[in-house]
Amino acid sequence: MSSEKTVLSPEAEELPEDDAAAGGRFARPGIDEPFDAYLIDHTYDECFQPNLWSRPHYAKLHELLSSLPVEEVQRRQLACEQSFLHQGITFTVYGKDSSTEKIIPTDLLPRIITGAEWARIEAGLKQRIAALNLFLADIYADGKAVRDGIVPADLVYGAKHFRKEMVGVAVPRGAYVSVCGTDLIRDEAGQFVVLEDNLRVPSGVSYMLANREVVRRAFPALFRESRVRPIERYPQLLLETLRSLAPPGRENPRIVLLTPGVFNSAYYEHTFLARQMGIELVEGRDLVVSDGRVCMRSTGGLEQVDVIYRRLDDDFIDPLVFRADSVLGVPGLFDCYARGTVVIANALGNGVADDKAVYAYVPALIKYFLGEEAILPNVETYLCRDPKQLDHVLANLDKLVVKAVGESGGYGMLVGPHASAGERAAFGELVKADPDNYIAQPTISLSRAPCFVDGKFESRHVDLRPFILTGAETVVVPGGLTRVALRRGSLVVNSSQGGGSKDTWVLSE
Amino acid sequence: MLSRVADSLYWMARYMERAEHSARLLRVRLEAMVSQGDLESSEEWRRMLHALADVQADDPSADPRDITFRVAFDRANPSSTLRSLMAARDNARQVREQISSEMWEHINRDYLKLTAMDFDWAWSGNPAQTFIDIGDGIWMFQGITHSTMRHGEGFDFIELGTYIERAQLVARLLDVYLSPPQEDGPKFAAPGYFDWINLLKQCTGFEAYCKVYTAQVAPRKIAEFLIFDPEFPHSVRFAVDKVQSALEQIAPGAPQTRRAACARMAGRLKAFVDFSSMDEVAAGGIAPFLASVLKQCEQIHGAVYESYISYGIEDLVKG
Repeated sequence: MSSEKTVLSPEAEELPEDDAAAGGRFARPGIDEPFDAYLIDHTYDECFQPNLWSRPHYAKLHELLSSLPVEEVQRRQLACEQSFLHQGITFTVYGKDSSTEKIIPTDLLPRIITGAEWARIEAGLKQRIAALNLFLADIYADGKAVRDGIVPADLVYGAKHFRKEMVGVAVPRGAYVSVCGTDLIRDEAGQFVVLEDNLRVPSGVSYMLANREVVRRAFPALFRESRVRPIERYPQLLLETLRSLAPPGRENPRIVLLTPGVFNSAYYEHTFLARQMGIELVEGRDLVVSDGRVCMRSTGGLEQVDVIYRRLDDDFIDPLVFRADSVLGVPGLFDCYARGTVVIANALGNGVADDKAVYAYVPALIKYFLGEEAILPNVETYLCRDPKQLDHVLANLDKLVVKAVGESGGYGMLVGPHASAGERAAFGELVKADPDNYIAQPTISLSRAPCFVDGKFESRHVDLRPFILTGAETVVVPGGLTRVALRRGSLVVNSSQGGGSKDTWVLSE
Repeated sequence: MLSRVADSLYWMARYMERAEHSARLLRVRLEAMVSQGDLESSEEWRRMLHALADVQADDPSADPRDITFRVAFDRANPSSTLRSLMAARDNARQVREQISSEMWEHINRDYLKLTAMDFDWAWSGNPAQTFIDIGDGIWMFQGITHSTMRHGEGFDFIELGTYIERAQLVARLLDVYLSPPQEDGPKFAAPGYFDWINLLKQCTGFEAYCKVYTAQVAPRKIAEFLIFDPEFPHSVRFAVDKVQSALEQIAPGAPQTRRAACARMAGRLKAFVDFSSMDEVAAGGIAPFLASVLKQCEQIHGAVYESYISYGIEDLVKG
């Protein structure tokens, strides 16, 4: 490859890639432009081995990036951002008297996972979701796992998200969690471990699909050669899942997606999924309960609804049963659900099982319900409710990540090594005042992957959220949302706190 | 289809039509300012503002630049072109899954373009071209709608919104040219030769008129053309016919009693226009005729709401 940089026309995507392959020059991370600012240390790097060679499954991408003029990468990145803006893949930031729509930061470079790695992830996720569904069914029925001492009773029945109203409610196929988003990270040894289960209203799947769309357009030849497993069937699989949950005797069930409305930050995703599945997108005000059935107000009159894929939190579902001030929900909906005239997915009350303290017991629950060892391990977790473990946590605040049990989205947490002594002391007091509400984990340096930042390729921390669907069967689309902590050094990947995302390629072989 | 969705589609179309109308009127005015040299003619600017029901229509201090800003770009003016387009896009966003991606991306792009536009920059170049571009963008949206969306009930609500809005906008425009001065209404000088031509242009009708009546400029023929021509898309009759046929398609499953109210009103308006002639209208006074068209459009709007959108559940039980 000569050092001359040619500016490429958008149509000429194939030629320079073949060109690069012929030249075969690799830019070394931390040394050669445009990888000169790329940091490699003890943290696991998705792309590079410790000897600075790229891992075999990243070689093609590395080679391409070593030779492609950065102006060209910049152009493709811009095209990708434009495409997001025009499609309205945005979230709204509300200011004092105006609001702005911003695109979710997306990094163009795919995160690549080998077929073998994926096989293990897939098996581990299916195992985990099977155990969690059995656990939820048990919680709201016999409570065997509690009686047998697997999980402390107060942890379950005292949890913020335990819904006593769900006791005795029949859930079709036992699929409490029909849509699950599980957050995985890679530890320093390169092993995938589970960081968090999202069993309530997980989001992000539309970004998984949108990222694929733009990245495939940005690197068409590389995409083709890499034999990436397709994810595009997700909406059809979701529809099949929901259909399989319909009340018996409803030949052609009417399935709707219930959204909090246009002001919700995930509204784009709701419209996207409804459109892709060809189902009606409804708001609470579109639904009424009439004669013990849930109906939607249509121009022709009322039409019965059979399955509701809800993207609304438990609290807001029905003002008669949960929060009375909810204007987003449907009065009487829970009663219909409990009597089985309508199915709600995900089921209510799932939050009790994705609680950060219950998380620590999931490997034991897998063993208890399935008689198997967990394929995907947990991150080591200290429960502050246990006095001995609390002492350990308080003595090691500078090494640990401490999290409030019922919170999500990266809120209510302390990242010990990155906090000041004052912040640690203040957080320590919070923990001491209410130890039941906190857990702690060792600071795992999430693995890093190459990202395009300010005209260079740099490494940033990433996690992975695959999506698992459970109806008549459990399926995992090969891929997921890779979230990126775009701020240098940051470990927080949540989009509400400066995180972005990138496409995830699972290779066929 | 969901009542809320029907409501949003209907208003999306109405706001689009309104935005296009104001852009078109401005474009014709700005072109006239250059080509016909009527730079000083505040009378025609005032006429335009009355046609758009602008609240500051009679402000004598406004110059063309101020007026153009207010009518097109002022975010504080709820009926400016910009605000209409924003409202249309807001409605589109609320039914994002009901319209085609092509429609959404087009309206979203136009919205992003217009909200980012710098007025001083637009004014300093060729401002008429700005409004040609805006209008073309909206026509393209209407064309994309025709070509990419299923022509089902949602489409019928779009048609209904487009044409009920158009009937009213054209009727109001004709009123400021054709109606004799009312005692309590605004007073205009009688339109001159160029003003009649501009009226046709404001309805995109100059060329179409010439094909029917030749280039002979006769106010009565112009009135006849813009009210009664059955084939010209910006005539009152054309719009009224479309309103009636859209209503025939809407909510086939709704109880007959509810459908009948809308059908009766649309049928009455259609008959009112169909069975009038220019002679009768001229004899009975053109102002009352146009006022009646406007009022009947309002009634149809109300009936559609009562029957399909904001009906009470108890009414439904009664059928």
